[in-house]
Amino acid sequence: MKNNKIFKTIFTLPILVYTFILIVLPLLYILFLSFCTSDSYGGIIYEFTFSNYIKIFDLTYLKILFKSALIGVITTIICILISYPFALILRRKSAHIQNLVTKLIMIPFLTNSLIRTYGWIILLRKNGIINNGLIMGGLTSSPLNLMYNRFGIVVGMVYTLLPFMLLPICSSVFEINNDLIEAAKDLGAKPLQIFRKIIIPETISGVFNGSLMVFIPAIGYFFITDILGGGKIMIIGNLIKNQFLTARNWPFGSAISIFLIIITFLLVKLYKRLGGKMDDLGGF
Amino acid sequence: MKGKYSKLLFIILVFIFLYLPIGVLIAYSFNSGSTNLIFEDFSFKWYLNIIKNTDLVNAFLNTLLVAVTSTVISTVIGTISAYGLYKFDFPFKKLINSLIYIPIVIPEIVLGISLLSVYTLMKLELSIYSIIVSHIAFSIPYVIVSVKTTLTSQTITYEEAAKDLGASNYSIFKKIIMPIITPGIVSGATLVFTLSLDDVVISYFTAGPGSNTLPLYIYSIMKSGITPDVNALTSILLLVTFVILITLTIVQSRKIRKEAL
Amino acid sequence: MKKIIIVFIGILLLCGCSSKSYENGEINVLNWSSYIPYEIISNFEKEYSIKVNYGTYSSNEELLAKIASSKNGTYDLIFPSDYMVELMISRDMLEKMDKSQIDNFSNINPMFLNQKFDPNNDYSIPFLAATSVIAVNRDRVKDEINSYNDLLNSKYKNNIVLLDDQRIVIGMALQANGFDMNSTDSKKLEIAKKWLLKLYGNVKAFDSDSPKTFLMTNEVDIGVIWNAEATLAHEDNKNIEIIYPSDGFALSLDNYVLVKGAKNKENAYKFINYLLRHDINREITNYYPYLNTTISNMNVDMNDLFNIFLNSSYVENIGSDISKYDKIWAEIK
Repeated sequence: MKNNKIFKTIFTLPILVYTFILIVLPLLYILFLSFCTSDSYGGIIYEFTFSNYIKIFDLTYLKILFKSALIGVITTIICILISYPFALILRRKSAHIQNLVTKLIMIPFLTNSLIRTYGWIILLRKNGIINNGLIMGGLTSSPLNLMYNRFGIVVGMVYTLLPFMLLPICSSVFEINNDLIEAAKDLGAKPLQIFRKIIIPETISGVFNGSLMVFIPAIGYFFITDILGGGKIMIIGNLIKNQFLTARNWPFGSAISIFLIIITFLLVKLYKRLGGKMDDLGGF
Repeated sequence: MKGKYSKLLFIILVFIFLYLPIGVLIAYSFNSGSTNLIFEDFSFKWYLNIIKNTDLVNAFLNTLLVAVTSTVISTVIGTISAYGLYKFDFPFKKLINSLIYIPIVIPEIVLGISLLSVYTLMKLELSIYSIIVSHIAFSIPYVIVSVKTTLTSQTITYEEAAKDLGASNYSIFKKIIMPIITPGIVSGATLVFTLSLDDVVISYFTAGPGSNTLPLYIYSIMKSGITPDVNALTSILLLVTFVILITLTIVQSRKIRKEAL
Repeated sequence: MKKIIIVFIGILLLCGCSSKSYENGEINVLNWSSYIPYEIISNFEKEYSIKVNYGTYSSNEELLAKIASSKNGTYDLIFPSDYMVELMISRDMLEKMDKSQIDNFSNINPMFLNQKFDPNNDYSIPFLAATSVIAVNRDRVKDEINSYNDLLNSKYKNNIVLLDDQRIVIGMALQANGFDMNSTDSKKLEIAKKWLLKLYGNVKAFDSDSPKTFLMTNEVDIGVIWNAEATLAHEDNKNIEIIYPSDGFALSLDNYVLVKGAKNKENAYKFINYLLRHDINREITNYYPYLNTTISNMNVDMNDLFNIFLNSSYVENIGSDISKYDKIWAEIK
């Protein structure tokens, strides 16, 4: 019996220690900090206050939240618009090809994301490959502004996050039972009807899984706005980073982080309600 | 048949989008000039220059050290925890079962700063070890999820049968559970290893002196312009992963064929 | 499975063995990115057999956050600017310097000594100085440019790069309107904000790390950037002109300081002494042409230096009013 107990301890103690020290403690501490204030030198004053949360709703910061959400939503929609047709076209192909395509999607993902983003600088610059190509082809007379603006940021975000959308959508589309669609066709259903009545319901959790894994990083990836946005546009990620590194206001930074966690939880709740499984997130 | 071509074209365009920046980087690794701005002449010299750039080599070795240690530790902890969560009842089990998803879903920046503030609170020295601990922190949940999916109700039947035959807990785990969960462990470890190799955000907040990782090194030189030796190193790494992935695919399909026979 | 473990251990050993051994210990340094050429550091490591753990930061605030959030003794030598030295002294974060350990201290140009942020240089020794300047590509911009206000011209849409530094950029807006660049007066700051919003349409990017690249690749034709960056751009393209704005400009003096609880003080003194050595010091400003702070390697003549001191101001500590700046910064971005 004693042996059993040791066995059980070995298998349960690490997870208890891990969860409480590396998940619960950090988050509780951030929560605690979010109710403190900071002195002018960035020290923390332990006085209870709601002021950091009230500050988030200041028009200046609301605008940043709105801008980030906009970039996040646009990125997510573009990812869906690319992934859906992609998956549908490959739906009827053999498992062999589907497997190969999935691997090919993964490969660029295995190189460093910064250096891939840097590749975009070479492409999108004023004298970059794309602009030179357009000018040589006579499509434009003066170079277009392809980066250091919102366009550049969205390109970078879509590029970095596309696999997170492609993979869940592909796997849910590939799993649709073909008999179901054949039966619907036999009964005279039009392609659009099949799409609305069968494909969408069967794949909605995959879409939402992807949306979650795209939208949340898209409002936090400060390095993409830094590199491709030319530091001109702030998203929530930059705002949090600034509070911790530039403005030295940890309590305010913590409050924004807590706010972001709440948004994340609401989205996860919605995802679960739509029938999504937690284990599908991140496991690809 | 027009539709077929436009479909094919769409797939090709998506792949161009995915591979274009990488193609550019590889192309510029053969640039004889010292910047990624203008392509001067074809040359292999940057591949030979990698060794000379001690900063780059150190950063790469640090990255390997972090990725390997954090993968090994988080795979071990993640695996036993997945089994523990599946097999035993213990205090806070339900809570833990939902808490472990937090590192997967919350924005990396939040995880990074919360770990940093806890290290500060506990007066821990920032170093390469703080990066390793942070990587373990975000890795364990991925391993748990990956292993968990291989533990099904079928497993319980096997376990009970073995127990009836008088097998000990240890030998059940070793002889029955391990073979079942190995694919989950492998895919979890692979995922975690790649995540660790690529991580910028969490390392950025938790790095200490002399513990530059490759992504941090790249981030620090990014704006002044990446030198082609970084491109060269990345191209080599890409080639290595490509070969590993292809080999895995071939081995897999051979296995499948063997099983079919 | 066993094979995998063996491979893992092999890699671990490889990583462990790769670091060379240094007889005289180590030193933990945090410095600005692009400030000391790599060769100079590795040469020091060889000559003194001291390992230099070298990290970089890109703003004073980032440096403060790193120091404040790490255990005492994590870092030995850092390079904060003027106002940050003052702030760190007031927060008791620095060790006093024993100048008798640094023979080459006598080589420092007295003009850079005894500044008001550290009146007796008890804690700090000047390293390099920088001024903000306007750099203009004369190949493409012919108009006369003297003042920041000349940059408001709508011709320059998407054609300017600014430093990604709220104090410098807002300070510049204040100076453009004839105010002190450290003003905390809400009305003046409001005017500065409106001025910046007008300028925003002309700004292509904010970048502190390497704004010269924008000028050198013709991405923009105008920059308000640090003098060394402008000089490097000028060396690349002689038609890039460097202009000291008539409204005044920022002066920033970076210093060697020792962090409280530094474990390797002796080695840090050796490193400072080494960097102040005539030949090494010249090498640094050859690579990164900031204002050299020694007498033997002066890279501007005395008159120009007087003028720079006369027309520029340091960024000053403004206490909790920093939140006003922070908010303006969030509003314009």
